[in-house]
This record gives sequence, C-alpha cells and structure tokens, in this order.
Amino acid sequence: MNHLFKNLCLRLGKLNIKPINGFHTSATDLAWTKSNLPKTFLAHNKKVYPPQEIGEEPRPAFVCHQKTNFKYSPDKLWYIASFVRGMTVDEALKQLSFVHKKGAVLVKQAIIEARELAVNRHNVEFKSNLWIAESFSGQGMVIKGVRRHARRRMGEVRHKYCHYFVRLEEGKPPIDYYKLNPMTPQQQLDGWLEQMRKRKIINSY
Amino acid sequence: MSTSILSKFGSLRLTPALVCNQQCRTTTSKHYNPKFKKERAAKFLKIELPDFNEDASKFSREKLRQKMKERGILPPRHWMERPFYISATGGVFEAYVPPEGDGKASLVSTTRAKQAVQLLEKKSRSMMAIRKIKSFDEDFDTKGFCEQAQNIYIKAHESLVNNDKQALRLYVTEKAYAEFRHNSMLKTIRWRFLESLEPPRIVHARCTDVISKENIFGQVTVRFHTRQQLAVYDRFGRLLHGSEILAKDVLEYIVFEKHLSNLYGTWRIHDKIIPDWAAPKEPSKLTRVKPKEVVEAVAPPEKTEETPAIPEK
Repeated sequence: MNHLFKNLCLRLGKLNIKPINGFHTSATDLAWTKSNLPKTFLAHNKKVYPPQEIGEEPRPAFVCHQKTNFKYSPDKLWYIASFVRGMTVDEALKQLSFVHKKGAVLVKQAIIEARELAVNRHNVEFKSNLWIAESFSGQGMVIKGVRRHARRRMGEVRHKYCHYFVRLEEGKPPIDYYKLNPMTPQQQLDGWLEQMRKRKIINSY
Repeated sequence: MSTSILSKFGSLRLTPALVCNQQCRTTTSKHYNPKFKKERAAKFLKIELPDFNEDASKFSREKLRQKMKERGILPPRHWMERPFYISATGGVFEAYVPPEGDGKASLVSTTRAKQAVQLLEKKSRSMMAIRKIKSFDEDFDTKGFCEQAQNIYIKAHESLVNNDKQALRLYVTEKAYAEFRHNSMLKTIRWRFLESLEPPRIVHARCTDVISKENIFGQVTVRFHTRQQLAVYDRFGRLLHGSEILAKDVLEYIVFEKHLSNLYGTWRIHDKIIPDWAAPKEPSKLTRVKPKEVVEAVAPPEKTEETPAIPEK
C-alpha cells in the first residue's frame, strides 16, 4: 500500500496536478521536453513512391492521421474503430453521428481532420472519394489512482487515455473488407438444393 | 402478508420517488441498492485528470493566467532577435530589363534593331561593373565565366533533383535557396539539361557596396537559351507537372552573385529575372476532371488574339 501511495504521489508531482508548496515544478509538455507520442504511424505519410510509367494505373493516395491522449478507454474505442473500417468516409461520418458514445465524437473528428489533410496536403482531388483503410485504437497514458477497500486495504484504479489511428485511402472501398466471402441468396438456395438432392433416404432403394 | 411485502421491497422504501419513476435499468455493473451510492463513490480517491487535447488558443486571458499559475510556468518571452545574413544581398539591384520578344522575334525587325542600339548605350555601366569585378578577381574572363555559369546552373538543378541540401548551398545564395526548394518537399523531380541552343552570354553586370564602401557585391546576369526536360511527380509517383518525353526551349535570365570583398566568395545563383512580357506559367495538372467544352469555346479566341500582340510591340 505504501508503495502504491508513493507511486501516486510521484505521478502527481510529475504531472503537476498539485504543485508542491515552495518547490518549483514545471510541466512536462514544455518545448525542450521529448514527446512520447506515437510516431511510427505518421511516418508513413513521409514515404515517397517511385514515379509511375506512362499508362500505368495511378497509385491511390493515402493519408495517415492520429488523435492522441484522449480520455477514454482504448478497449471501448476499439468497437467504434472496427465499426467504421472499410466504409467510405461519407458513410462513416453518417453512421457515427448515430453512435451515442463518447469515442464516436473522437473518431468522427479524426476522420474529418484526415480528410482535410488528404485534400490540402496529399494531392487528393475529391474529398468524398476516400475510404477508411485502417482504423484502430491504442493505449495512451495511464494514470494510476487509488480506491479504498475494506480493512484498510487499497485497490488500484487505472485512468486510461487512448490514441486513435486512421488511414484514409483514395478510391472506392472493397466490397468484402473482412474477406468473409458471404454467399448470395441464390448461392445459398443452390447449395441447399444440392444438399437436399444428395441426401440418402435409408431403406428407400 | 403485509410484512412480507415490505421486507421484499424493502429497498423501495429507501429510494426517493424520482428514482422509481425512471425507466428500469438492467445493467449488471450498477448496484441494485442506490442507498450508499455516495459512500461508494467516495471510496475512489479524487484526482484531477489532465486534459491533453484542450486548445490553449481558445482560452480567455484570465483562464490562461490561472492555468500558468497552477503549473508554475512563466509566460513565454518575446523573441526580440532578428537574424539576417550579410554574405548575400536580399535582392537584385538595377535589374536587367530583357528586350521584348527575345528568342522569338526576328533580329532583322525594326523594333529589335532599335532595342539593340539602346542596349549598347546602357552597356557602358555594365562594362564599368565588369572592370570593378576584374579588380577583385584578376582571372575573371567573360567567356570563361559563361561556361562556369552554365556549370553552376546545371549543378544547382542537379543537387535540387537529388535533394542534396549541402551541395545546393554551394551553388545557390541564401536568398535563392528558399525559392529553389519551395514546394519541392516529398516530390520527385526528373530534370535533364539537353543542350544549349545559343551560347550563354553576359547581358548585364552591376556592383554595389553594402553598409561600408569596401563591402562590395557583384551581380552578373547571364542569358541562357537552352533545351530542357522537366517532370514533377507527387508523393505517390503520379505526374504533377511537365513530361519526361517532351523537351522544351527555355529562355532564362539568371542573376549570379559574388561577395567580391570576401576572399572566399564564389559565384552563386541569386535570382531569375522574369520579363513582364513572358507568357503566363502553365498550371500544374492537379485535376483529372475533363474541362467543360462550353468554357473552351468562349475563352480561347480572346486569349489567342492577345498573346501575339505582346511580342510584336
């Protein structure tokens, strides 16, 4: 318990939630401090592809975008993130406006920002000609809190922050994003008929 | 009977009437008895969680002050320093005015003949400037310089194409560096110097002193008439501008600058003179939408009448 409490105090001091009296503390997010935000996903935006030959199919443009350290559970955000995967941007924005969750606001905002980036910076001509190729959540900062238990015991509470990552690609979305290969009604009927005709009726012949 | 009912719905008696009117919840994470709700909540140690996404630019003055006080941060200092570079000038002094229709109109035409006479009159100042350059640089020779200038011109473009920032600094002044690199981020450039249609020649030269009398800069304008190829591709390798199978005739007036008083000064590209009679730049192929035919039918006839009229003047 002591260890936990000490840890908490240290964290509070570091975060400057409560400045200690008579002791100068400065925030961690100052100009010269190193940022510990995710970098690898945005690095895809800096990749330069070799020029294409004449007559080759133009390579679809894409843009990666992230929103960091949002106060929401990454586990809850995952459901929303996977919900919009493989949708067109317009469809996703429409669907998200009917999701009554805190994370839906974040996802919607991220998609709108990514769309603006694509049009302004990444040479995408039409803003509605985009689809969500990647969408996932990640865990950001975790602040550990304390919860009282009986008999002078303590429990640990995790206040989690989350990251959201999205990649928009130019063009039309694939028909079957998750590669589930769903059968058409006609195929289902044909399959059922085939199965029925193949069955063996015992003692018939 | 009545007691049994009371004991069964004992919890109902304790809840306020408002809660009963609310719709029934079936969530398992909620306690069935709301009696000790406040006490249960008090078990959690209250800590203030920081908001990392708050927009500081939208804070009011008082709010910002309060936030800074909380964290013990001083307001940022004003940056009072203004850096400036003294080994290159910030512009072109007494810029060369290219004759109209240069590289296009016939040499025999009357307007060209008149302009040639006028140019001869203006040449005296250029000669004086060249003499001054020679006083600093004994090996300066107009013919040799033209070759050197073409070499610098090609090297500068090649280092831009190769994205070699260190090499580009050797061939381009600090003023031109930003203009060279403008808009070239994350793009692939394919550039080729094919041939020189006319030998490059010095058309203009000037010298100026900056701050003190001894601090002299020399600027020489060289006319290049060349054939080049240019293709610019975006990040995804899609053609943005120009073409790799099309060669174009390019007429350019390039200003070269040297810090003459500096013992280690070199000739570097400083600026490009764009004559006001030059045809407007071809826009890049950003769009893939076919233009409407109605617009084409109305606009071009007016333009085609205008464009030849300018060079003839």
